Amino acid sequence: MVPTTYFVILSAVLFTIGVLGVLLRRNALVMFMSVELMLNSANLALVAFANARQMLGGQVMVFFVITVAAAEVAVGLALLVAIFRSRHTTDIDQVSTLKG
Amino acid sequence: MSNMTWIVTLIPAFPLLGFLLNTFFVRRGQAAGTIASAAVVLSFLATLGAIAVLQAQPVEPKRIDFFVWEWIAIGNFRVPFGFLFDQLTAVMALLVTGVGAIIHIYSIGYMRGDERPVRFFAAMNLFIVAMLCLIMADNLLLLFLGWEGVGLCSFLLIGHYFDRKHVAPDLVPSGAAVKAFVVNRVGDLGLLLAMFAIFSRMGSLSFYTQSPPDGSPSIVGFLERLVDQGVASALIDLGAFGSIGLTTAICLLLLLGVAGKSAQLPLYVWLPDAMAGPTPVSALIHAATMVTSGVYLIARTEPLFNTAIDEQGWVVAIGVLTALIGAFAALTQFDIKRVLAYSTVSQLGYMITAVGMGAVTAGMFHLLTHGVFKALLFLAAGAIIHGTHETQDMRRMGGLRESMPRTYRLYLVGALALAGIFPFGGFWSKDEIIAHAFAAQYNFTGVLLIFASMVTAFYMGRQIALIFFGKQRDTSYHAHDSEPIMHIPLVILAIGTLLIGAINLPGLHWLADYLAPVTLEGAEEFSLPVAVITLLLSIGMGYLGWWLYSGVLGRRVRPGKEDPAYYYLGDIWTGAEIALGLDWLYQNGIVRPYRVVARFLSDVFDREGIDGVLVEGTGGVFARLGQIMRGAQSGYVRNYVLVFLFGVVLLVGYFALRS
Repeated sequence: MVPTTYFVILSAVLFTIGVLGVLLRRNALVMFMSVELMLNSANLALVAFANARQMLGGQVMVFFVITVAAAEVAVGLALLVAIFRSRHTTDIDQVSTLKG
Repeated sequence: MSNMTWIVTLIPAFPLLGFLLNTFFVRRGQAAGTIASAAVVLSFLATLGAIAVLQAQPVEPKRIDFFVWEWIAIGNFRVPFGFLFDQLTAVMALLVTGVGAIIHIYSIGYMRGDERPVRFFAAMNLFIVAMLCLIMADNLLLLFLGWEGVGLCSFLLIGHYFDRKHVAPDLVPSGAAVKAFVVNRVGDLGLLLAMFAIFSRMGSLSFYTQSPPDGSPSIVGFLERLVDQGVASALIDLGAFGSIGLTTAICLLLLLGVAGKSAQLPLYVWLPDAMAGPTPVSALIHAATMVTSGVYLIARTEPLFNTAIDEQGWVVAIGVLTALIGAFAALTQFDIKRVLAYSTVSQLGYMITAVGMGAVTAGMFHLLTHGVFKALLFLAAGAIIHGTHETQDMRRMGGLRESMPRTYRLYLVGALALAGIFPFGGFWSKDEIIAHAFAAQYNFTGVLLIFASMVTAFYMGRQIALIFFGKQRDTSYHAHDSEPIMHIPLVILAIGTLLIGAINLPGLHWLADYLAPVTLEGAEEFSLPVAVITLLLSIGMGYLGWWLYSGVLGRRVRPGKEDPAYYYLGDIWTGAEIALGLDWLYQNGIVRPYRVVARFLSDVFDREGIDGVLVEGTGGVFARLGQIMRGAQSGYVRNYVLVFLFGVVLLVGYFALRS
């Protein structure tokens, strides 16, 4: 049986990678993938803790997160397509008109 | 017949109807003039009817008090809207509607070709309504309504030519209108304060006790309360300034109001400028009626002034000084209407002197005669202005006797009356005032009045000579007599000037007897020596004035040049010409500093302070703050995510470490 600590560490590593991906990459598509990575690292942590404490709530929570993530990706990709159509780029730094 | 008291409401109703018709329906000048004149004529007939009804009243003292409705009732502050018609009102109403009607008819001719005749006639009718409201009011508040109403109409009519830059050199119609209005406000403040004092100490604004027909408790008249409850000896506490007698204070405040409306020292400065209005306006408002309302007010509240004996000295002093200053100022003017304006100031001084001495009959007598002959003079002056194509400067006239013979004769009648020559109206009334001054031991006052009378005769001689004698100095126009509609009213007024002295002849004194129930005084004693001396002096001075200005001095008068006498008298002449420079004093002592303060308040305080610091400043602070903070809104998603991340780390860290 793999100790829970390992799962948590893996989750933390994945989450950090996701954060760095969002912060550092300029391609909107890759940023989305990084966001997905963060979500799934959270899922991993949830499942790991649910298993460790033998409680079903964490497992159920993951399903909800997956559902929401799917919806979010749908909306996000739609936005991305709209941005690409008007700007002919997926570089997120080019889309900075909305500033003070 | 004695219960037909409702007839008094018809007197103001007709002009009111005329005003409403002219304001809302009439568009043509001729129609407006006809309606306005008819309204005033009907009002005059109603006045005659009301006098008959008054005569038929069964109870003494005969007085019609027609209660229309309870105007204001707040606790014990009860003001009825009612008309008081007694002998004093009757005489005033006859003058207002009689002379008013004549002037209205004259105006039809005078205003032909004017741009705004309908506005003119509407305002004239409104003026008659307000003036009747003033003299027929049964309480001070209603009187004040009329008082302000005539002020408003005066403003409207002085500014009738508001679109003209000036009507004579240095005379701007809109400015003159505002000046008359503002100077009158100063006087009105006095009247208002007097009303406050009367109500707070005597509990009523009604002149005489009234019992409303609806059965509510009667309102006690303040003039009748003077005799009881120690009102006469009551004092007003002025704090650090000691105390002042109640009636004294009220009389001084009333006197301020009178000085404003009746153009007395120190507030007479507006009347000469009021000549910017059309000439019928000068005749009706600024000679015959409105300016006499101050005299009427003192006559109406005479019991008050009688109680405050000390203050009668003030009234007399102001009257005499005004009579003198006005006479000397009239002596030096070149504008035909300004001569008459200052002459009005001077004659009003006579009336104020008379009522100040307690000689109400003499004052009212002079008010009536002056109302008639000054209206005649003004209307004749209007005929001259009309006939000489808008010439007002007497230096550009001369020799008009030949080209305007009918106007010349009428003007001469008015001038002789004003100069106090037998047998014209002014002789009887002016001498009655002078005789009373000596009889009442105001000897110095009497001497000054005779002196003013001599100056009056002199300036009328000068004016007659300058206008009608010698050669026409400016031949750029062709003078002509006026049409019948303007001429016939003058003839009526001239006949009136001849006959009006008869209403109070020595020995008969009808006017004194008629007014006796109101004035509570006997007939004047006529003093033959005083009359003869005054008459001889006036004739002499009048002849001197005529002789000088139709002869030696008159030959040296040139358009645009100073009066020849100026070269002998210099500054004395100038001092009289500007009427002691009160105008200059107000201009530089009040108006200029006020303008400076106003400019400071508008340009510095408001624009820089309120607008700059407070309004713009508040906005500026937030604009700058936003400028600083806009850096945070970079538009780069990564920045937002970073802030997000820090926020999450902080929150999670906080909750993790807390437990």
